[in-house]
Amino acid sequence: MLELPLVTAGETLDQFINGLTVGMVYVLLAAGLSIIFGVMDVINFAHGELLALGAYFAVAITTAGIGNFWVALLVAPLAVAIIGGAMERLTIRPLYGRDPLYHILLTFGLVLIFVDAIELIWGTQPFRPLDTGVLSGTITILGFQKTLYSYFVIVMGAVVAAGAWLVLERTRFGLVVRAGSMDRDMVRHLGIDIDRYYTLVFAFGAFLAAVGGVVFAGRQSVGPGMGGSVIIPAFIVVVLGGLGSFRGAVAGGLLVGVVQSFVRWQVPFLEGLVVFLLMIGVLLIRPQGLFGSPEWHDPGEGGELLTAAGSGVLSTRRRRLLGGGMVAVLAIAPLGIGVLYNSYVVNTIVVDILIWGLFALSLDLVMGYTGLVSLGHVLFYGLGAYATVLFAVYLLPSIWLALVAGILVAALIAWVVGYLSIRVSGVYFSMITLAFAELFASLALKMPGLRAQINPTLDSLGLPTIPPLTNGDNGIGADAITYGLTGGPEFGDVSLLGEIHLYYYVILALVVGSYLVSRRLIDAPFGSVLQAIRESEQRASFLGYDTTMYKRRAFVVSGALAGLAGGLRATQNLGRASPGFLDWLLSGEVIVMTLLGGMGTLYGPMIGAAGYLSLEELLLSNGIDQWQGVLGIVFVLFVIFVPRGIVSIPSLVKQRMDSSSEAPPEGEPAEVSD
Amino acid sequence: MARGTSNRKQRTTDQGSSSRFGSRRTFLQATAGAGALGLAGCLSNIGGGGGGSDTITYGVVSPMSGAYSSLAPGQRNGAKLAIETLKEDDEFDFEIEGVYADGQTEDTASVQAAERLVQEDGANFIMGCISSSVALAMNEFAAEEQVIYNPGAAAVPITGSGCNEYVFRAETNTAQIAEAVSEYTVNNLGTEVWFHIADYAYGTSVRNRVEARMRQANSDLNVVGSTASELGSSNFDTYISQIDNSDAEVVVVGMTGGDLINFTAQAVEAGLTEDKDIMAPTMTFQVVRGALGSAAYGLYGGVRYVSTLDNPLNNTFREAYMNMDETSGPPDNFARVGYQSIMMTAEGIKEAGSTNVDDVIDALAGLEMDSILGNNQFRACDHQALNPTWMGRCVEPSSGEVADVELLKKVEGPDAMIPCEETECSL
Repeated sequence: MLELPLVTAGETLDQFINGLTVGMVYVLLAAGLSIIFGVMDVINFAHGELLALGAYFAVAITTAGIGNFWVALLVAPLAVAIIGGAMERLTIRPLYGRDPLYHILLTFGLVLIFVDAIELIWGTQPFRPLDTGVLSGTITILGFQKTLYSYFVIVMGAVVAAGAWLVLERTRFGLVVRAGSMDRDMVRHLGIDIDRYYTLVFAFGAFLAAVGGVVFAGRQSVGPGMGGSVIIPAFIVVVLGGLGSFRGAVAGGLLVGVVQSFVRWQVPFLEGLVVFLLMIGVLLIRPQGLFGSPEWHDPGEGGELLTAAGSGVLSTRRRRLLGGGMVAVLAIAPLGIGVLYNSYVVNTIVVDILIWGLFALSLDLVMGYTGLVSLGHVLFYGLGAYATVLFAVYLLPSIWLALVAGILVAALIAWVVGYLSIRVSGVYFSMITLAFAELFASLALKMPGLRAQINPTLDSLGLPTIPPLTNGDNGIGADAITYGLTGGPEFGDVSLLGEIHLYYYVILALVVGSYLVSRRLIDAPFGSVLQAIRESEQRASFLGYDTTMYKRRAFVVSGALAGLAGGLRATQNLGRASPGFLDWLLSGEVIVMTLLGGMGTLYGPMIGAAGYLSLEELLLSNGIDQWQGVLGIVFVLFVIFVPRGIVSIPSLVKQRMDSSSEAPPEGEPAEVSD
Repeated sequence: MARGTSNRKQRTTDQGSSSRFGSRRTFLQATAGAGALGLAGCLSNIGGGGGGSDTITYGVVSPMSGAYSSLAPGQRNGAKLAIETLKEDDEFDFEIEGVYADGQTEDTASVQAAERLVQEDGANFIMGCISSSVALAMNEFAAEEQVIYNPGAAAVPITGSGCNEYVFRAETNTAQIAEAVSEYTVNNLGTEVWFHIADYAYGTSVRNRVEARMRQANSDLNVVGSTASELGSSNFDTYISQIDNSDAEVVVVGMTGGDLINFTAQAVEAGLTEDKDIMAPTMTFQVVRGALGSAAYGLYGGVRYVSTLDNPLNNTFREAYMNMDETSGPPDNFARVGYQSIMMTAEGIKEAGSTNVDDVIDALAGLEMDSILGNNQFRACDHQALNPTWMGRCVEPSSGEVADVELLKKVEGPDAMIPCEETECSL
């Protein structure tokens, strides 16, 4: 009888050590990310790739026989630190003073470049874990056997974290960094050239990430997906601990590691959900994270948000004409099928652009007009897709009602998410929306397992059981989506003439209609308030507007439009929705499209979608294997040289032509026009 | 669930005329044929070569980027080798071209890539994809576009509940592999079993099928515990501790790719294999053995293919594959699937004496032929290739570090596949 609690205590300790082991790797990754953000306001999506690079360098060093694990542990991080420093110098430096948003576009581009570069150099085959020499094998302490490497990771992580802490606390470098993360301007006013420190900070962060990478490589295989798989947990740790707080990163990392470990063991059905719930919970109670400073990131610290509104060179009337002309061109485009181009161009590519244009437009409503950067916008797109398909599967196959169902479900969840999220701002808002999106993405994948657990209980209680909602990663598809209420011709099958399809016009009409509704909304007093919030939320609220309420409403409208986009996309995916519709990378892509086109204009993001997808199609159809890297390079160049997006190119050109020092077109009142 | 159901019925009542309610191409042919409008004449240029021409254009959509990018090159190279072989082989007197695209391990991107191949490059046969969700979407695409499709994914529903007449699968499915591993495992490795799976369709299907087949084979089976990790996890300490603290004799792992590699590497490192065996249906995959190195020695797994199989067709294939410019080693299972899919389909084209898709479907279903896995056929009731499967063990090689596969027991093709009545597919 006495044995049972003893075993449990042993097992508990066992799992605690497991949690600390993985937690320490999170600490290494998150500490750098947090410092970089704290000091430079850079949301570094490429941080995971720096970790991967560390791991790959370690593999290269050990397999080439240059050195063993210990040499790799020292050399690889130093090499990555140099790359990190160069990255800051060459790409991030031109962006200081701008809103952190631009770093998303920039580092998103860098991720694509790094991923492709890694695949180009090392191929796609995973490498085996590093030979850790004396650290391999197991050791028995307190009666239970564990790998020696686990203890090494804990000790190593603790030493590196303590070292980093000493650097931050005891050196002049650390002093400036800490001061900079509290109030950059104050440091400048004190006569310290903080910009010089940025390169060092970035290199330091890269170093820590690479140490994490080498440590990782000692216990898992090294493959191209490595960076992408750690970046979300790393962001969660950073936000949980409090942005810019080193202590927070350490506490957050260990907390996430231990909680994950215990949940896996004791409440397995929450596995994959718990970290997101934890983060949402913490942010709702303490919006600044566990150790974040509440004063941190006050308005005005955010840098300049470069909307493209009012930057055009055309008059309102001309722009309207141009817009009308564009729609007319799209309307007659199918007539050219078989003559100028084949049906794929119109029925697949243009349709794809229209749908993504709608998705980007929906994001622009919150991002370009209220300054809220939703990293979880894919949630509404994905929910729209699933709801549309499920409506057609279980209720009626009518395309119209199914799309309405998608819109309503997306709007409803947007209201809930908006209600909970809009109380936090800035990067915290981005992260909490990301957490919601990941929560649903995880649920979609876990749904069959959850059904298997819940349904027997429901059945025994005589309640109706849950039908298949997602089929997990297999995805769920509707037999038919029809024009009629209960049947009739299928959505994809009604042809007006040859390859000229009715669905093309339906989608065109829905997208143009959504644009006009959004335009109407933005031109109405509602839209003016939104723009006032973007310019200065404080001022808007002093004028008596309930800014939170306005933001929430904009968020719901935006979610609804994203839901429509998702529903339409599902009809083009043979009436199927799958977890790919909830992939967070789509959130990143749609932000990139919005910025690429020019946010705060409604039409800019649609142009951005067209540019993004055309370029991708061009690269893919020419069989260019490194298409991702090329896309990445284009983003990086764009964000540096054309920050206001494609729609600002005419005014940029005009500026160049007018060599005289006239006031640039941005001087015009930034009212919105077509 | 299958969208193709109605089409299938339609077709069986109306064989050969390739008519299908509402299909794009049918309408196209109608308008073009009528020649009612001048424009319609131009429109006949559109779309793939639905079947009339003598040229086969094989579109190969492989996940060159994304989660399965490490497996895709094998598939593409295998398919490429088949196409090159057929070009030169006089026995097959049709013209064949290959066109290739990146499906990005994602269904929307793969469907779009396939659309590009069909409509821009005129593909009338499609091969490819590795993940089950993508393959299920491609099944629908094949029915919609009326092209023959050879999936490279192993999930049962692809030739089960999601099947349709256009889909011919040369990949061995999860049920066939379960047949090979279950009985051997429970009777030779131990009756005290722990299941660890990745929490997604593949993992669940391994657990359900292997457990059911084990129970049939040995009533002493005792499932000591069952755990599931999130797909894409990289740290398995928690589960390994749990398994280590249990009385399990054998651990059945329902995971693939990176999940399987990391789980196994960490389990071996933690000493789990000192008193327990590990068996995974995909443990003998080349990419898994390559990434595990010496840690793989002594582990058990199902075998869909090993390049060392000794028969004339496979010997030719292995040699030709290793001589390709793109490759540096022997073919793995994915290369085998790419090659075998197209070679087996080509037998159907030869038999039909026509490149018309409908004629090929009729000829290919149930056609007995020789393949690199021996005597084979796409079974008529579900178009699943009757591949044999093996139970295997990873053993120390005579040279190098990557484990060799020792074949322990073979299950012949017809015995490995579940009966037609149980497939949820009726063609």
